[in-house]
Amino acid sequence: VVLPLLVAATISVAATTTDLRDLVAAVGGDRVSVESLTDPRHDPHAFEISPRQLVRLREARLLVRIGLDHEPWLRRAVGGLTTLPRDLDASRAVMLLGTETPRLRAERSAHVHAFGNTHYWLDPENARPLTLRILEELSALAPADRAVFEANRARFIARLDAGLSRWEQMLRPFAGARVVTAHDTWPYFARRFGLVVAASVEERPGVPPSAAYVARLVERMRATGVRVVIGEPAAPAALLRRIADRTGAQVVTLAPSVGSDSEAVDYLTLFDVNVRRLATALAP
Amino acid sequence: VSLALEILVLPVLACLVLAGIHAYLGLHVLARGVIFVDLAFAQVAALGMAAALLAGHALGSDAAYSHALVFTAAGAALFATVRTNATHHAEGGGGADSIPQEAIIGIVYAVAAALTVMILDRLPQGGDQIKQLLVGDVLAVTGTEVARTAAVYAGIGLVHWLVRRPLLALSFGGEVSARRAWDFLFYFTFGVVVTSSVRIAGVLLVFAYLIVPAVAGALVSATVRGRLLVGWTVGFAVSVLGLTASYRWDLPPGAAVVSTFGAVLACIAGAHGIVVLARRARREGLRALSGIAAVVAGLVAIAGAFLAAVPGADHPWLNAAETVAPIVLTTFLTEGERRTFAESHAAIARGAAELDRLRALAVDVQWGTRELDPERRERLRQFLASRGEIVAGDRLVLATLRRHARHRQRFVVGLPLAMIGATAAFGLARHARAKRRSRPVAGDVQIRQR
Repeated sequence: VVLPLLVAATISVAATTTDLRDLVAAVGGDRVSVESLTDPRHDPHAFEISPRQLVRLREARLLVRIGLDHEPWLRRAVGGLTTLPRDLDASRAVMLLGTETPRLRAERSAHVHAFGNTHYWLDPENARPLTLRILEELSALAPADRAVFEANRARFIARLDAGLSRWEQMLRPFAGARVVTAHDTWPYFARRFGLVVAASVEERPGVPPSAAYVARLVERMRATGVRVVIGEPAAPAALLRRIADRTGAQVVTLAPSVGSDSEAVDYLTLFDVNVRRLATALAP
Repeated sequence: VSLALEILVLPVLACLVLAGIHAYLGLHVLARGVIFVDLAFAQVAALGMAAALLAGHALGSDAAYSHALVFTAAGAALFATVRTNATHHAEGGGGADSIPQEAIIGIVYAVAAALTVMILDRLPQGGDQIKQLLVGDVLAVTGTEVARTAAVYAGIGLVHWLVRRPLLALSFGGEVSARRAWDFLFYFTFGVVVTSSVRIAGVLLVFAYLIVPAVAGALVSATVRGRLLVGWTVGFAVSVLGLTASYRWDLPPGAAVVSTFGAVLACIAGAHGIVVLARRARREGLRALSGIAAVVAGLVAIAGAFLAAVPGADHPWLNAAETVAPIVLTTFLTEGERRTFAESHAAIARGAAELDRLRALAVDVQWGTRELDPERRERLRQFLASRGEIVAGDRLVLATLRRHARHRQRFVVGLPLAMIGATAAFGLARHARAKRRSRPVAGDVQIRQR
């Protein structure tokens, strides 16, 4: 009799990604049960919701999502619900990059994320405002637990601060280094750690670059001595390798999300893994 | 140019290798009427790879490759059996003869794709790699890949040449003993080829290489040898043309080659049609053209009527005419509008040139080949964004002026076109029908036979 009561006492939260799930768990601790609706090993744009996740979404009292145009499948998934959960659009909590898309679309230049780049969780500093918003939402649902949430968040922020100084120290020697990325995933990460993303290989994920674009890229990389190409699990590995071979650069595969790489098990190890790999690749 | 060569040389070689074997296999596929069998095989091989991953093998290992091979063999056996059964039933007058082979192929494709999705959902890692087996990027081929593929295809080509008699008889009709075994051999070698091609070039490109040269050959020639020669010519020419176009106009390479295939096939079909028409015109005089002239006149009538009815919609033929001769547009503008039109045109040209220059500067700054202090960099970013909006605004002005002109062209251009076109189409159609009735029936049959 006690067990169901205990279960019922936790706040059920649905997060759209594993990164947001970890941030919710960091604040909520054992007072929430949170699950990610998507699997980071699959393409987030071509996601198909499964019945179990739909049940999860139906039971959720809070939905935490990346926002912008990151979850095109969500509108349909939520469409069938009779009572909507509280909705936390996490993109409202941070400063966005890449928002300067022309309102009048006359240019032919590609722009994947029309409302700003969605990969803002890859700046660890953004975890501060994100967890604060999560704290507010959780406290609104369970006002009695506010103190618990605040203590949890303080503990998380302390670990985050320790991590930040560790990561910044590891990448400080390479400040200003230019890198080429597979997709436009890393602007927030690069800005935080003083790297410059010179160009992306695939401007639109899934649309292979033209031969002329690759040729220009190779030429530029040779001329400026770019030594690192940042890949990710979903990137076209063969193409990256070929570009790297031609320029003498090195492909380093980073994890864009918690769980997209077996080593990146939570939000903080995500940066441990990425920073370590990047520092190794950038080291002369 | 040297860089272009360096980037393009391997993709072109890879495409030539593909064209060599696929133009030949395409003849079989077309003759057998199993157009989408390559998609089914690619999906079955991907399922095999997914199963290998599920069994704990690394992608690219020998174990994974043998998985894919076994699945391909199973698919080949299934297709060979089903085909034989269908023929058998047809002879015996059973009910299954009404099921076309394409239905089985479609089912295999769908089920294999669904099973792959389910397996990928269970996998501990690496779903994206499987997906990439089906996408392929011809720009990313390596020298060893091209050499290995060429060797495998040469071997398969040799096998097909050695046993060409039963294989050709199977596809193009003829008596063969041990149908099932030969059918299996065909489908299995075909499956192996398609699976390795798809990994290099992706399903879209492989499909085009398989079907378009064969169709082009069938349009032009009646013999297997002639079709093969035409197919190879088309395949090789399109490979070089398409990849060059991709470089020249900055297009995704695979899509560029497939589109070139479409364009070349359209040209061949158009030329074929003109030849047939010219032959008829020589025999029957200009009256032979009245049918096609009626169709053209009908299209003119529809375009005119559409302009009159919905002037706000897109009228690409009128846009094209106005690009060639701006007077078609400017006659329908007021004096003031004409001034705005000229000013906007000039502003767009100026703005676009400036945008190009500043974008190049921004790229240089991003690459570090030109230095710019942070404040000026931010100003450049904002200037680019706002100037882009202004140019887009000027384009909007042009579009608005064009809309105004359309409403005036509506009755002056649209209605007369509709009436002239309709009258001409009606007259020509009657002419064509009268001609057909007057022609002796026996002559008609004779022409067909010839």
